[in-house]
Amino acid sequence: MKKLLLVSLCILMLCVTQTFAQNRTITGTVTAKEDGLPIPGVSVTVPGTTIGSQTNGDGKFSINVPQNATSLQFSFIGYGTVTSPIGANGVVNATLSSDMRDLAEVVVTANQIRREKRSLGYAATTVQGEDLVKGGNPSALNSLVGRIPGANITTTSNAPGASTRVVFRGGSSINGNNNALIVVDGIPIDNSSVVGGASSLTSIDFGNRGNDIDPDDIENVTALIGPAAAALYGSRASNGALQITTKSGQKGKAQVSFSTSNIFSSILKLPDLQNEYGQGYYTATDDDGNITEYYNDPVENWSWGAPFTGEMQEWGQSIGGVRQMKPYSAQPDNVRNFFKLNNKYNGYGFTQGDVPNKYGYYGSYSLNPYFVLKNFSNNNNVERITGNVNLTYKPASWLNITERIGIDTYSDRRRLIVPKYNYTPADDAGNYALAQTSNGSYQIDQLGVTELVHDLMVTGTHKFNEDFQGSLMLGNNIRQRSTNTNRTATNASTGLVVPGWYNLQNSNGPINIVQDFISRRRLFALYADLNLSYKNMLFLEATARNDWSSTLPINNNSFFYPSVSTSFVFSEVLKPNDWFSYGKIRGSIAQVGQDTDPYQLLTTFSRGTVLANFGSTTFPFGSVAALMASTTLGNPNLKPEQTTSYEIGTEMAFFNNRLNLDLTFYKNISKNQILPIPTPNSTGYSFSVVNAGRVDNKGLQLALRGTVVKTKDFNWDLYGNFTRNISKVVELMPGVDQFVIGGFNGMSIVAAVGKPLGEFYAVTNATDDQGRTIVDSGSGLPVATSEAQYLGSYQPKYIAALGTTVNYKGFTFDVMFDIKQGNKFYSRTKDIMAFVGTSAETGGPRFGQPFPNSVYLDDDGNSVVNSGANAVNYLKQDYFPDLNPGVNIVDGSYVKVRTASLSYQFKKSQFKGLPFNALTVGVFGNNLFIWTAKENKYVDPEINSAGATNEQGFDFTAMPSIRNYGFNVKVNF
Amino acid sequence: MSKKYIFNPKQLLLVIIIAAAGLTGCKKFLDINQNPNNPDSADPNLLLPTTQAAVSQIVGNAFQIYGSFWAQYWTQNPTSSQYRSIDQYNPAATAFDRPWLILYRNALINADLIIKSPQTDIDHTKGIAYIMKAYAYQLTTDAFGDVPLKEALQPTLYTSPKFDSQQSVYDSIFKYIDLGLGLVQSGTSVAVGNQDMIFKGNMDSWVAFANTLKLRAYLRIANVDAAKAQAGIEALYATSPTFLNADATITYTTTGGNENPLYNEMASPTLNKVQNIVASSTSVDTMYDNNDLRVEKLYDIFLTDTASEGNRIRSIAQGTYNNTLHTGKQVSPPSPLVGGRANNQASATAPVKLISKAESKFLQAEAAARGWGNGSAPSLYAEGIAASFTALGLTTGQADAYILQPVVAYPEGASLDEQMEAIITQKWYAMNGFQGFEAWTEWRRTGYPNFLVQSAASTQGAGRMPLRMTYPNSEAVSNLNYPGTVSLFTPVWWDTIHD
Repeated sequence: MKKLLLVSLCILMLCVTQTFAQNRTITGTVTAKEDGLPIPGVSVTVPGTTIGSQTNGDGKFSINVPQNATSLQFSFIGYGTVTSPIGANGVVNATLSSDMRDLAEVVVTANQIRREKRSLGYAATTVQGEDLVKGGNPSALNSLVGRIPGANITTTSNAPGASTRVVFRGGSSINGNNNALIVVDGIPIDNSSVVGGASSLTSIDFGNRGNDIDPDDIENVTALIGPAAAALYGSRASNGALQITTKSGQKGKAQVSFSTSNIFSSILKLPDLQNEYGQGYYTATDDDGNITEYYNDPVENWSWGAPFTGEMQEWGQSIGGVRQMKPYSAQPDNVRNFFKLNNKYNGYGFTQGDVPNKYGYYGSYSLNPYFVLKNFSNNNNVERITGNVNLTYKPASWLNITERIGIDTYSDRRRLIVPKYNYTPADDAGNYALAQTSNGSYQIDQLGVTELVHDLMVTGTHKFNEDFQGSLMLGNNIRQRSTNTNRTATNASTGLVVPGWYNLQNSNGPINIVQDFISRRRLFALYADLNLSYKNMLFLEATARNDWSSTLPINNNSFFYPSVSTSFVFSEVLKPNDWFSYGKIRGSIAQVGQDTDPYQLLTTFSRGTVLANFGSTTFPFGSVAALMASTTLGNPNLKPEQTTSYEIGTEMAFFNNRLNLDLTFYKNISKNQILPIPTPNSTGYSFSVVNAGRVDNKGLQLALRGTVVKTKDFNWDLYGNFTRNISKVVELMPGVDQFVIGGFNGMSIVAAVGKPLGEFYAVTNATDDQGRTIVDSGSGLPVATSEAQYLGSYQPKYIAALGTTVNYKGFTFDVMFDIKQGNKFYSRTKDIMAFVGTSAETGGPRFGQPFPNSVYLDDDGNSVVNSGANAVNYLKQDYFPDLNPGVNIVDGSYVKVRTASLSYQFKKSQFKGLPFNALTVGVFGNNLFIWTAKENKYVDPEINSAGATNEQGFDFTAMPSIRNYGFNVKVNF
Repeated sequence: MSKKYIFNPKQLLLVIIIAAAGLTGCKKFLDINQNPNNPDSADPNLLLPTTQAAVSQIVGNAFQIYGSFWAQYWTQNPTSSQYRSIDQYNPAATAFDRPWLILYRNALINADLIIKSPQTDIDHTKGIAYIMKAYAYQLTTDAFGDVPLKEALQPTLYTSPKFDSQQSVYDSIFKYIDLGLGLVQSGTSVAVGNQDMIFKGNMDSWVAFANTLKLRAYLRIANVDAAKAQAGIEALYATSPTFLNADATITYTTTGGNENPLYNEMASPTLNKVQNIVASSTSVDTMYDNNDLRVEKLYDIFLTDTASEGNRIRSIAQGTYNNTLHTGKQVSPPSPLVGGRANNQASATAPVKLISKAESKFLQAEAAARGWGNGSAPSLYAEGIAASFTALGLTTGQADAYILQPVVAYPEGASLDEQMEAIITQKWYAMNGFQGFEAWTEWRRTGYPNFLVQSAASTQGAGRMPLRMTYPNSEAVSNLNYPGTVSLFTPVWWDTIHD
């Protein structure tokens, strides 16, 4: 590689020696019509010749022209081309105008190449920085929700630091990453989401690294939704790319802007509760199945006890032989009401001091939440540097050489703390048998990633004649990614020696090396990009790329993939009129190959560890060391994955650009996916790595924007978008029709043939052909299905957003709703609240009624409606604490007020005499309100316990999502 | 080179192409895919401890729990809930995923890799691997019936191994034992030493272990194929075999991860030292009836309690965890001596017995009683009982007093069936706390002891008792040759008395 870098440097140095022998020098300045500021980088040419130059950072240029030259042509992307005559004084100033927005809108495409939107043969959406900060969300990715047609953005909890998953067009990788590639100023950056915790059930969301960027630093974001748009990025962009361009210094007078915000947060959605029954459970029923006796059990955290009567009743623990009395009724705040009773508990619910190390109040099984809050912690500290160097040289007007080297490196250090404690019951009447005890643990996770990216791009442009021009770019990309992961913990079974000392030195027994892993991968690529345009109305782009990857078998590590796209601006032919302003159709076909993770080819050995259900035997055992065969059988014959995408679309503008439409249809086919397919353990291995599987995604995406009213003082814009994606797993491999992506509590998330990617699969209540629940004719309880059932997908049927902006004099009001419909999620919140009998669905009559809308089967297997005189009643307490996992699948549809803001910009006259240029005050909010499906009485369906991974739609009693709102003041000096 | 050629576009392109294509070092640049984290080969002597620890993990934890519940030594504690499904005879479809995985993926594959190693000077290691493989396959087939063997452990050849009949699995077990016996007696082998966690490289002990295992395996098929069993055992005795005269155990320590597997399981953060296992009346009541001093060694005593029918061990009837009589009452847990007391760290050092000395004696007693082996059945029977007493810290004198009782004394001169009842029933008492799976398995083979009751928590039909473990869900969903689910109540091939 050094050789290549050397050669490219040589080219640059040789070029420096270039001189021109021309006759006359013309100078001048090029400025923009809108703001009068100079424009750097404007191409200045002499028509009919190959002579050219460009403006410097101050917009000034100098060009040697032949004596016979009469005019200069100024062109710059995004602006109309201007030809000016050369005057006698040798000075030519030009003013470029960009007022025709749609004609000249510039898009930052793959490899940071700026191109006019009209020339693109694929969909690309640009979101401006000011739209990102409207809702005051600290996450740049969260702020994109509702602003990109074709994207499914899931915000986990909307808390600062939480994960955000950005998936374009449904996602196609069964096992790999489906998140869009994030590119900052041309350099792809790492967007890992490494979820903490031992399993899905104890997961800790440490966020995804793509969220590290501050939305205030962003100039704009361009979403390159399809593989065609991102083909030049190669393998990693098979999921599309988010191109973030950061703000950089502008020419002109120095400006300082100061902005301050205060943000408040509150929980967006809490579960609905029953307020009719107290603690305990029923102990006896009469012959008709009616409950006749309850046991007020102070130990179990069950609310299946007697109905509230309001009478004074003994309650809680017995301390010193005395139990407290309080009215038997729902309390607005049980904790506060309990502590008001002037008993011996301190504010944490622990009797420390005179009676140390006791627990109580919260029952046998629950730790005191205040204790948890105070003593358990998961911290992480990310230190990250990203940067790049761009070197551009233009040895001739038609030739551009760009070298870009970027680095992205970070370390993520996490400390996971579980306290050591041993609390015995405060109760002295023997109600509580169990001690609450833990050996404690302390774990350090250190994750490091370093990515180096190099791109050398040589672009030649050529004008064949006035109408027909083209460019060819040849490029080379080299990428290296190194990772290291080190997880070390105190001894897994014996924990800490000294309570409260969180250091590995305090391990009780050998330190537990949970993971020690380094990896390195390299990729070498050559690519070419050919652009042709005819009369600025017909465009053709073709790309080709060949990758050589270190992760594939060394003799079979090369793979090639092409793309072609075209666009036709038909309004150039149709001639725009009063109602029709602009029209374009486009189409593309693209292929993207993808390599795999490092070290998939060989089967290896690991340290001897025999994992039981909960415990383990681990080596070294005394002085005995051991190895064992690894879980996964490697595959020395892996091939790259391949995604092919087809897309057609149109962009149109009506009524003098007051109504804009952008519509795209697409289809993506992902084949040869590299999967660790589960193998029977009787082979000696649990997984084998294979090429298998095909996932198709097809759909449409639509964006509309219109200006309803436009006057001097009053402006009203409406905007919206709609995305419909149909995902389907077409095949896996012969004999395998299902692949488990994730799972927990008897619920699996699978890729199943014929179903969308990410389908829930579990046993649920059996129903008859009319959808009525089948109950047991004896107990009246629903019967479980004999096999697991497909229960819907986390993929929404459609995603939409609708927003409006109103400007009146200095006031600006902006609100955006976003909508997801038809997705499912698994709610463990529902499950656990049903178990303890606190959710609203467990309220109402708890006996003497049949299961709603149910039937039982007679001897011949026919449904008999379970109601009226024949009804078989059921007891809610016998049903809800043991729900079939499928019953906890809940409709995840929602409508949210994603962002809203109201601001006022003071007129200059209003703050005369103050040293401000501008003053704006405003209120803002994000994630403000939610409307969910009727059956979702539990949580915000966006929350997810597995971060930004493929295991989505999984609420394992996850932290509730929050709304944020605040006010800000912004001053420019 | 004149200046004007410097910018010749053709030449420039050429330079770039040469730069890119001329990268002869490219191959080297990309040749970095060797995994630095894990070795891609392993010394067979390093694989042996994993095999042994895996077998011990099964015998000492998962199979110990299921076996001890179904042999009715233990039952579910009313104040907790972890093992209710075992007493309900209603294990989840995934209940046996983990044991199956440990058997095939931890025990058998590593034994097989040792056997297939091209290394030539490790006969002793390979011999132990064969014997461990035989032992592990017997565990597997006794639990599940027909299991993959011939096509198992060859992932590149057979991605879906066929299930072999239990009969042919037993044939392979005998073959593996013979191969193992030959290798451990080889004269040319480097010493295994402490990498052998069971006998520390003592090959005489491995010969005894292999002989005892062979006797156990032939006796297992004595009902279904008496001729073969008799021939095999007679052939064994013709070699003047040595049998185990000490427990074959792995000794555990209090070091985290090196503890007794059952204790390690209970002390895991998930189970958090909650006592799920308590004494079953099936065992406790009969032991008190027999004045068996072992009962107060095997279970923890509640000294303060005198209400429980005068017994110092408070037990509950099998599967009565839901009975309101027991609500809020403490029940005796198994003692730390057997690794069953969750919140006593002494449980960590309880041994796991792959074959106990007592079992060895009872096996010999049965062979003698059947007339297939040498020795005196009554004295081997007494030695078996004595071995069990001394293993619990009791004296041979106390054992002698116990045997003198008419209800325990060996029925000399009685029918074979009566002798079998005495031998197997006493073997059942002797295996309490250590060999739950083997005790349940021998009950399946012989029907003794004949006083096991159906668990009160059974959700199945009247009179039904578990006769096998059900195939794991993981195999059902991944193996194309999966033979279909077999009910918990279907006897295995050698079980001729539960048809």
